[in-house]
Amino acid sequence: MQRTIGIETEYGITVDGAESVDVVSESIALVRSYTQAEPATQDMEMKWNYDLEDPHLDARGFRVDELLQDFDEPKYFVQDQNRKLSFQEIKSDLVLSNGARYYNDHAHPEYSTPECKSLRDIIAQDKAGERIIEECVRRRNLRQAAGTVKVYKNNTDFVGHSYGTHDNYLMDRSIPFEKVIRGLTPFLVTRQIVAGAGKVGIEGEENAPTGVFQITQRADFFSVLVSIDTMNRRPIVNTRDEPHADSEKYRRFHVIIGDANMSEMAGALKLGTTALMLDLLENNSCPMDLDLVDPIAALKFISRDPALKHVVLLANGRTISPIDIQREYLAAAQKKLRGRDDDTDWILSTWQQVLDDLERDPMLCRDRLDWVAKKWLLETFAAAENVAWDDPWLQSLDLEYHNVRREEGLYAELVREGTMRRFVTDDDIRHAIHHPPPDTRAYFRGRCVEKFAKQMTSVQWDELAFSDNGQEHVVRLLNVFDDADVRRYNEAVDNARDVETLLRSLDAVRR
Amino acid sequence: MPNTNAEFPERINRPTSPAPWERKETDSGGPKRPDAEAPDTKELLKKMRRVDPNQAKRYRQRTGE
Repeated sequence: MQRTIGIETEYGITVDGAESVDVVSESIALVRSYTQAEPATQDMEMKWNYDLEDPHLDARGFRVDELLQDFDEPKYFVQDQNRKLSFQEIKSDLVLSNGARYYNDHAHPEYSTPECKSLRDIIAQDKAGERIIEECVRRRNLRQAAGTVKVYKNNTDFVGHSYGTHDNYLMDRSIPFEKVIRGLTPFLVTRQIVAGAGKVGIEGEENAPTGVFQITQRADFFSVLVSIDTMNRRPIVNTRDEPHADSEKYRRFHVIIGDANMSEMAGALKLGTTALMLDLLENNSCPMDLDLVDPIAALKFISRDPALKHVVLLANGRTISPIDIQREYLAAAQKKLRGRDDDTDWILSTWQQVLDDLERDPMLCRDRLDWVAKKWLLETFAAAENVAWDDPWLQSLDLEYHNVRREEGLYAELVREGTMRRFVTDDDIRHAIHHPPPDTRAYFRGRCVEKFAKQMTSVQWDELAFSDNGQEHVVRLLNVFDDADVRRYNEAVDNARDVETLLRSLDAVRR
Repeated sequence: MPNTNAEFPERINRPTSPAPWERKETDSGGPKRPDAEAPDTKELLKKMRRVDPNQAKRYRQRTGE
């Protein structure tokens, strides 16, 4: 693969046995439990630089005054106002030695992977996030008697509250955003047949039928084609313009429409195929004749058709199945990108096999795709226990599929029984918990945290600040993406005896 | 709190060479097809029966992004 990518995942949190749950304080406690170990870790605590973030900038060339996320939900306003914690304390940001960010985002523990350039690294890092949170659950439950915390890597509470899993791709800024929207909308609308996590129920609609199994957790929450919002009126294509890189050269394609994948194969396909689509866009090879008449309706319609029997209508009057839309993108990628590198060839062949299997019988994919595995689990249980599809037990089992505690989670049980294909090994995941990917700027960040945390004064994706001899010095990483630059920075941190040597070798700027 | 979880690795200073993330010859080299034919569902069903039927009803979150 030839693109820098990352995933952010917000996890759901609850406490069994508690009368009421303050999810904000539980999320804070969970994140903080990671550094409350002996021996103490060197991870960076509460030094994230918020001044360098502006989620109000829109890729269409303007700045919005207000976003829903600025205020959160009104019914929690008073509760949040009365917290005797600073903004930094509520966020409880950690930067880990693997280059990841781990913090409380509103009311959810969020793990943002370090930047990766290979599928193996990004899946190992995403899974490392699950293991870190699983360990935090263990530590929190050992320490506190009040109830048992449970954490889920999913995207809904089944009654209208969704939380995100966003995949991110560095891309060429010179590609007009209108072209991104037109080229990728049909791909993103149909990507769910490969990457959906499955859900029992329909949310946000009055008089919706009960007991419906959907391909995706998130389709119910999207209502517009393009917008900067992420919490309200969510868009298929998000226009937040925060490249975390040189904004003259780069754009961060911020995809908010994905589900949280438990399956390593589904996650690898989701990220890999989307990265290839951006390659096609940048090469002027992306199919541009697949405009959907109504992308929002198609998104929901496809999600509610797990038999994959129906077609959608294109603006040119053609009707086409979601599998065939994916096939058109696949054919363009095969023609232009086959043979480029091992990751690309793996994506192309696995994608084709999955589409072929979905066409023959979706259930053939239950060893690779989350939604199919979950559907098979629920069908097996419903048949064995004579339970109807609208029985709340099935929604509880849906939730349990995503439990990060491997002793309890149903996805973990499928892995244990050998019925899910793996993409990485347990050794890869254990390694990723403490080690950054070797070939991106995340290595520099992670190694700086490991070696020089005490002298670091602030951190961001594209900037680190250090204190040395009473002065603050800044190392900017805005353009550290090509192999030679990455190698120079990463060798510098490996070779540096101390912060002074590091700063000198990189011509750091005094603030 | 002591880290008593044998499953969760302690962070150790690692050598820079050979890079531990490099593929080893003994690596299996990626995905394998499991035996997906006619699985025995006895253990799985036992585990599913232990799930509280009402846990999803109690599971309430705040909206995220």
